[in-house]
Amino acid sequence: MNLKKKLIAIPLSVSLLLPAGVPLAFAADHDHGGPASMEVSNPATDLRAALDSILSEHAYLAVVTMQKGIDGAKDFDAAAAQLSENTDELSAAVASVYGEDAGNQFKEIWSSHIGYFVDYVTATANKDEDGRKKALADLDGYRVTQADFLDKATDSRLKAADLEEGLKMHVDQLIWAFDNYVAGDYDKAYSSLYESMHHMFGTGKGLSWAITDQFPEKFDNHTVDTPAADLREALNNQFSAHAALAIITMQKGIDGAPDFETAAATLNQNTEDLTASVESVYGAEGAKQFNEIWNSHIGYFVDYVTATAKKDADGQKKAMADLDAYRVTQAAFLDTATEGRLKAADLEEGLKGHVDQLLMAFDNYVAGDYDATYDNIHEAYSHMFGVGTALSGAIVDQYPDKFTSAMPADMPKTGLGGMSDGPDYTVLWIVASLIFALGAGTVLMRRKTVKEQ
Amino acid sequence: MKNLFVKTILFVLSIVLLTACASNTENPKASIADEPKKPVDVSQPETEVEQVVEDAIVTSIPAPSAEGLTLTDNRVGIQPTRIEIPALHVDAVIEEVGRLENGQMGVPQNPDHVGWFSPGVKPGSQGSAVMAGHVDSLTGPAVFYKLVTLEIGDEIIVHGDDEALTFIVTKKEEYPRQNAPVDKIFGFTYTSTLNLITCTGVFDRKAKTHDNRLVIYTELKKP
Repeated sequence: MNLKKKLIAIPLSVSLLLPAGVPLAFAADHDHGGPASMEVSNPATDLRAALDSILSEHAYLAVVTMQKGIDGAKDFDAAAAQLSENTDELSAAVASVYGEDAGNQFKEIWSSHIGYFVDYVTATANKDEDGRKKALADLDGYRVTQADFLDKATDSRLKAADLEEGLKMHVDQLIWAFDNYVAGDYDKAYSSLYESMHHMFGTGKGLSWAITDQFPEKFDNHTVDTPAADLREALNNQFSAHAALAIITMQKGIDGAPDFETAAATLNQNTEDLTASVESVYGAEGAKQFNEIWNSHIGYFVDYVTATAKKDADGQKKAMADLDAYRVTQAAFLDTATEGRLKAADLEEGLKGHVDQLLMAFDNYVAGDYDATYDNIHEAYSHMFGVGTALSGAIVDQYPDKFTSAMPADMPKTGLGGMSDGPDYTVLWIVASLIFALGAGTVLMRRKTVKEQ
Repeated sequence: MKNLFVKTILFVLSIVLLTACASNTENPKASIADEPKKPVDVSQPETEVEQVVEDAIVTSIPAPSAEGLTLTDNRVGIQPTRIEIPALHVDAVIEEVGRLENGQMGVPQNPDHVGWFSPGVKPGSQGSAVMAGHVDSLTGPAVFYKLVTLEIGDEIIVHGDDEALTFIVTKKEEYPRQNAPVDKIFGFTYTSTLNLITCTGVFDRKAKTHDNRLVIYTELKKP
């Protein structure tokens, strides 16, 4: 296949990068409290966010699917199907930039690595060490093929050697998360899950950077690399990981799974990370308040799970009422903190979406409707990218000085002309003055010497 | 008196080029060497999640080992203190420079030093680290006088406090001073790059600067 030909032949359409299957609140206007500035949301940063969302959800779904596979869990098929849908989304995004053929080729390569992970899980279940080694060797081969594809597609903006390193990290994180899950070392398993989602934001930045550098006019010459875009993606990462971890924690909770405590602890770690982000903008007092309010809603989700486990309908209703009250408090906090840039009414609406998605994902899981569960999970995960976008938009608008580029506007003056041809009268004048000054000094010194004699 | 005079002039006009060469060390990567405390449990797929993880030693599947795995991005870069360019016999102290009021990248105070743009990224981390050095002083050649003679494949060694990184020249470009692609020179890259800047072309006495800028693009050498 001639990739280069494709690059010229297929015009990129940004709208194609946000197909109907991606219900993301990337556009500048959304339901979290008003428009984000161009600095935060523009064609380039929206592409970055879209890729971050798809790639990091891939990591999450891959880890979850491997767990469900080794457990022989009833929702394994639905988890695997969602992972496959995620591959379709990513391939569609690739096709929208590099053409249908490239999209198909990408899909084949990308799907192969998911297949090798499945092989690894199957071999582990069969206690087949040779099978595991074969799967790892296949993953090594995959890295080379995938890196080569992206190197060629991006005209070497992404270099195969760097890509192979990045892909190795992705593969290692997933294998490490799985091996430790199987070994019962859940701390390592969940910290690797958390890190694997975070890692994909680096991949998303790299890929979106390469694409926007390659087709600058398709992105109104915007760059993905600004302090505002970095804030947006840092918050997107933390908020989406919250949704992902909350869902897995609720599932593990109702299942009475041995890794429930660790999943919950990782969710708490995420709360601490979010709190640190809030503190960096709104200070210690603001962060303390945020932490209390945010923790309260996690507590109400736990109440809901506990009530469900006990088949306690009143307890469920109480938890839902508490979550309604939480929405009001959380919305008021963010309205005040952003000085009205995010409106409480809009925030309450957005938070209702978040709460409903998590409860539906959980209810459907309990009811055994796993296809619906994973649709809810996808929606809940993607929703959080709207939250990160809205909050970063407000913060950047509120504190523009904190988000100015450190980049210089002009090149340095790295020459003073001393080696240039022709006389430099400035230099001559300085030298002449110096000589005159020294001469004068000499005369004075002589006079002094004479006087002293 | 004549001696003092000559010495003074020599002092004023002197240019010291340090030409020592030092050895290059690779960037060591931190390794994660946690040993699992629990025995491995490998079960056939079960329908009940609770039954899955029990302590049972199975010899056919080894315990998880982080050996050879890269689990986090360790590319934090180094705080540069010295730069060596063996091909030019340059070994210079690094000064931190920033952005001037007029938006220009700052320059080192000493024409024999190299200025690292410290608001940007550190050498070895992801993105473009940028350093600038004078081509000449008021009176003679400066640290990057011969930068223009660097060739693709030449090595640049940047020293930090305890480690050194080697970069390889990949491209040489000359731009009109007011028309250089600043965004590209200072902007994000997926790989770790180091870009060296100096002046070139004709010295414009009115503008008190050379009319062109030379940029040497380099990339981090992989271990």
